[in-house]
Amino acid sequence: MRFLIIGNGVAGATAALTLRRREPDAAITLVGGESDFFFSRTALMYVYMDRLSRRDLEPYERQAWDRQAIRRVRGRVVDLDAANRTVRLASGDTLSYDRLLLATGSLPNRIPWPGLEAAREGVAHFVTLQDLAECERLTPSTREAVVVGGGLIGVELAECLVFHGKRVTFLVREPWYWPVALGGPESAMISQHLRRRGVDVRLEEEVAEVLTEPGGRVGGIRSNAGREYPCQMLGVTIGVHPAVEWLVGVTTPPACGRGILVRPDFATSLPGVWAAGDCAEIQLPGEVPLVEQIWYSARRQGELAARAMLGDPIEYRPPIFCNSAKFFEIEYTTVGMVMQAPADAEEFYCPVPGREASIRLVAYRGALIGCNLLGARWNHALFERWIAERRPLDYVVGHLGEAQFDVEFGRLDLSCIREAFRQHAQTRQSQPAGA
Amino acid sequence: MLKQGKANRLAHDLTHRGVTAWLLSAALFAFYLALYFTEGFTGVARALGLPDKWTLYGLLYTLAILAGGVHVLRKYRHNRYQVVRTAVVMFVQVTLAFAVPQILKFFHQPEYYFSYLWPLKLEDLTPGIVFQLPLPYILYSFLAALLLAPALAALFGKRWYCSWVCGCGGLANTAGDPLRHLTSKSSAAWKFEKVAIHTVLAVCVTLTALLFVTWGLGSRHPRLSAFTYHFQSLYGLVVVAMLSGVIGVGLYPIGGTRVWCRNFCPMAALLGLVQKIGRYRITVKQNMCISCGLCSKYCEMGIDVRAYAQANTSFTRASCVGCGLCAEVCPRGVLRLENTATKAPQEFVLVRISGVR
Repeated sequence: MRFLIIGNGVAGATAALTLRRREPDAAITLVGGESDFFFSRTALMYVYMDRLSRRDLEPYERQAWDRQAIRRVRGRVVDLDAANRTVRLASGDTLSYDRLLLATGSLPNRIPWPGLEAAREGVAHFVTLQDLAECERLTPSTREAVVVGGGLIGVELAECLVFHGKRVTFLVREPWYWPVALGGPESAMISQHLRRRGVDVRLEEEVAEVLTEPGGRVGGIRSNAGREYPCQMLGVTIGVHPAVEWLVGVTTPPACGRGILVRPDFATSLPGVWAAGDCAEIQLPGEVPLVEQIWYSARRQGELAARAMLGDPIEYRPPIFCNSAKFFEIEYTTVGMVMQAPADAEEFYCPVPGREASIRLVAYRGALIGCNLLGARWNHALFERWIAERRPLDYVVGHLGEAQFDVEFGRLDLSCIREAFRQHAQTRQSQPAGA
Repeated sequence: MLKQGKANRLAHDLTHRGVTAWLLSAALFAFYLALYFTEGFTGVARALGLPDKWTLYGLLYTLAILAGGVHVLRKYRHNRYQVVRTAVVMFVQVTLAFAVPQILKFFHQPEYYFSYLWPLKLEDLTPGIVFQLPLPYILYSFLAALLLAPALAALFGKRWYCSWVCGCGGLANTAGDPLRHLTSKSSAAWKFEKVAIHTVLAVCVTLTALLFVTWGLGSRHPRLSAFTYHFQSLYGLVVVAMLSGVIGVGLYPIGGTRVWCRNFCPMAALLGLVQKIGRYRITVKQNMCISCGLCSKYCEMGIDVRAYAQANTSFTRASCVGCGLCAEVCPRGVLRLENTATKAPQEFVLVRISGVR
């Protein structure tokens, strides 16, 4: 059996290793266009900040791939012929397979702002190794930078640029930073933290026009508020989309929506072809099609897709949502539904006095459905369990100590949270039902 | 990409095996060779009003730990474990490893270093030396090495010694902090470590046994006495002078800060064996690792922590000195040092909400 995997990101690499664990003798080939070896994309920022080398990003020793007999091919795939079970690389080489996994990941979004096309230099994304190289090339000739987009990559890029001593303006279109995940007060804490670290956070502002120097280098931007921000580097971090453009015009294109359409067992519309990770759009029966684009989901999907390719009965159900991030020094963990919770959900929010930390618990019909945890370390697995066990908030607050994961001697003092919850519960009791 | 500016480039060169790093390494080698094998520093010590070159060395060593300690306290001030641990290691160095022996000497007591124990300090179980001491010192030498140290290692891991008390670890974790990432993480280095450190331990235990046998038999076997004497001298030269001093510190800018502790220290080897069967462990949060590699990069003992973290495996490695830097640098808070009797509840979460219906 010959397995071919296109894309050596976390979904593809996890799939390759899963296949090898199960099939000691199969031929497994991993094609990557971005790098020779699988690397941790989530850590690009630490290379930019000189805390890691590029080699350090590789989660496995290089000889491990030979030991695992996983053949690595560097190249871009330009054609897919599912009838003859072959793919063609840009180099002209052809690879044949019995089962194929598409794990091509995602690409940064762009908006055709006026003036952007004239900017031949200075516009940067921060998703790929090539983006990193471009950022590094631009850094010495940059004094001021504008980062556009209120998500996680934007904050990472801003942190890197601050590290390098740049004046950074961070444009957020929404009324507060990252409203899909953070409540107003949490976001205000993050914004304050960013400002203290030297980032000029501008809320409810977006790019109206990109200004260019005579040589073609970005010179600044004009915002929709009419303000001009001079910059020699424009970081565009407005999200990513499934990398499916390359499938347009191949011999046998699989059915695509936003991403490559797959069934809950990761099978595409083509025989012998599966897709997983950021590039896949999973059609779950009776639900909105699902595109998951975080590290954890790609790893999970890569493993499950590999098992599906081996014939296991897989029917994907996204587990209770969980994600993590770090905003400069503030660590963030979220579990379950928080900002997407029903309007009549019960919310308990408690900032921890004297510390850049907070906890937000959300309950619906008496049971925990989600939490946002900032500035302290918690074991998300326990919150997942409490959500699965439909625990009420008073149970969760009473057991918070078990979920603490702070360093020794550095545990968050929970008494203020307990006291705040007692008042919260009293206030709710004194209100008439349904208020 | 390194940060702009001349000072930053120099710092990068020094911490990334550049020319400056090699020059510093050469200077450290020269310093230790001169210290161990010449009397060049004796004059300097006398000129400063110190009794001998070893007191001068102790003073310099203590100053290095204090200066580095202040830097580390500032750098990790948000992390209480690092603050407490660093404060303790600085305190132990100033008192037990420097001032107390001098004070004892002043009161006509033996110049005794309470913070160094057998098998790191062979003299503590060298009958010809230890039995010359007053009884409390004899009791301390035996009980601390054979009972206290292993018991604490079983309860808290070898960190209680290797990164809270010991001067070698003290220097590594303070002045050596900017160089901690240089330790090799390769599996070849791990193989070398396992062979080397247990060899030194075996040699050290053999030598100690021989010292007791020779002492017990007295002067009846002059050839055995001569052999033991030569063995002891050779051990002093190779292990104590060359490996712990010259190479151990000399290689800081090239091979990282724990070359001695990781590969050669018999104390670390012994406590590591206890640690493997004790309570200490690094707990890994399930499915939270992003494989960034900061934990492995900044592990001064060369442990590929990421390999465990990304495999969701809590673990105990014999070499881990529990400095806690892996947990400190982890951007997702995946790791925690633990030594509680009951395992943290997350390890009982067997029924993880799976991705499959």
